[in-house]
Amino acid sequence: MTMLPNYSSQDCPRAWEMMPWVLQDSATQQQGEWLTHHLAHCEACRAEFEQQKRLQHALSLPSNVEVDMEAGLQRLLGRLDAPAVEEPQRARRGGWLTRALAAAVLIQAIGIGALGLKTWSSGNDASYRTLSQEPATPVTAGAIRVVPDASMTLSDWNALLHSLQLQVVGGPNDVGAYTVAPMAATASQQNTLQQLRAAHGVRLAEPVTDTP
Amino acid sequence: MNDADLNTDATDRQLLQRMAAGDRAALAILYRNYHGRLCRFLSRQTRRPEVIEEVINDCFWIAWQKAGDFRGDSRVSTWIMGIAYRCGLKALRQHGEEPVEDNIPEDRIPADDPDEDRVLRDWLSKGLERLSHDQRVVVELVYGEGHTLDDVAAIMQCPVGTVKARLFHARVKLRNVLPALAERTATFKEQAP
Repeated sequence: MTMLPNYSSQDCPRAWEMMPWVLQDSATQQQGEWLTHHLAHCEACRAEFEQQKRLQHALSLPSNVEVDMEAGLQRLLGRLDAPAVEEPQRARRGGWLTRALAAAVLIQAIGIGALGLKTWSSGNDASYRTLSQEPATPVTAGAIRVVPDASMTLSDWNALLHSLQLQVVGGPNDVGAYTVAPMAATASQQNTLQQLRAAHGVRLAEPVTDTP
Repeated sequence: MNDADLNTDATDRQLLQRMAAGDRAALAILYRNYHGRLCRFLSRQTRRPEVIEEVINDCFWIAWQKAGDFRGDSRVSTWIMGIAYRCGLKALRQHGEEPVEDNIPEDRIPADDPDEDRVLRDWLSKGLERLSHDQRVVVELVYGEGHTLDDVAAIMQCPVGTVKARLFHARVKLRNVLPALAERTATFKEQAP
């Protein structure tokens, strides 16, 4: 845990802050004189300043790790003579990273391209259809769209279709409508339509046309 | 900045100009002038002489290449220490950070290291051990190399406020441990034969 310094007077924080700069001779003369005056009256700061001086002295001692300066300089000068050897080594380190990044970008670009292509190609056969679009299957001649009532039994439905010579060619769709068409091409659509509308259990009967 | 600093900086700028023109003698002078302080600065981060030399040579290799780009926004010493700091970080990443050693092997201690200095170094290394790497660098640059807050901010490429905070916390930590370490060292000295 860090213990904050104990200040014995309100001038102590200023003295504490000023110490390194007075020690390294970068404080103004006025600041130096102020600190000297403060230290004369403050024992705690005096002790701290002595500690700071010792720290500065310890840090200004020469390195105790022996490094041969002249040998190092000769190696540096030798390095200047061989820039072609040195630089590729550095370039290779940088080049490896650059190549890796370029490869990653390329893979991403290919992925995005493939995704775009897939989206574009699937866009041609949209899963929805507008009202003005032509139906996927051609309209059978004389086709009629019929919505039977929910209470109509299957046997009644079959009997009705049989009596009118109709067959189911589509449906039921989402609203329960069947598309029926005459089995014989000679049948009159208008007549069939009237009979369907009059039949019990038929809620709706409308001719299917090519254009909405 | 005092007169001596101004003169040194003026000389360093001339050397950089000569280096920009391809003068290797100027490079050699600058190298020799800065070798001691760079060794001292870097030996707080690693004890391996070959790594220290590698960092110093990387630093001067860059200085040689970039001498012509130096615009004089800071002192030359600040510029060089900034390069050395970044090269040092890179080397530490490559070689792994080594803590400041408590006990330096006998064969690594220069023969002319007086006992008093050894005690002081021991006291210092134990104190610096308690600091984070960034705090250690700030303390070294301020107390060891005499850089201002602005200089240290330029060297470490961080806001002045950050340097101020690092220095404050480093000083508080050192204030809490150094006196006790000094007493322990004194006791050890008294007990030693």
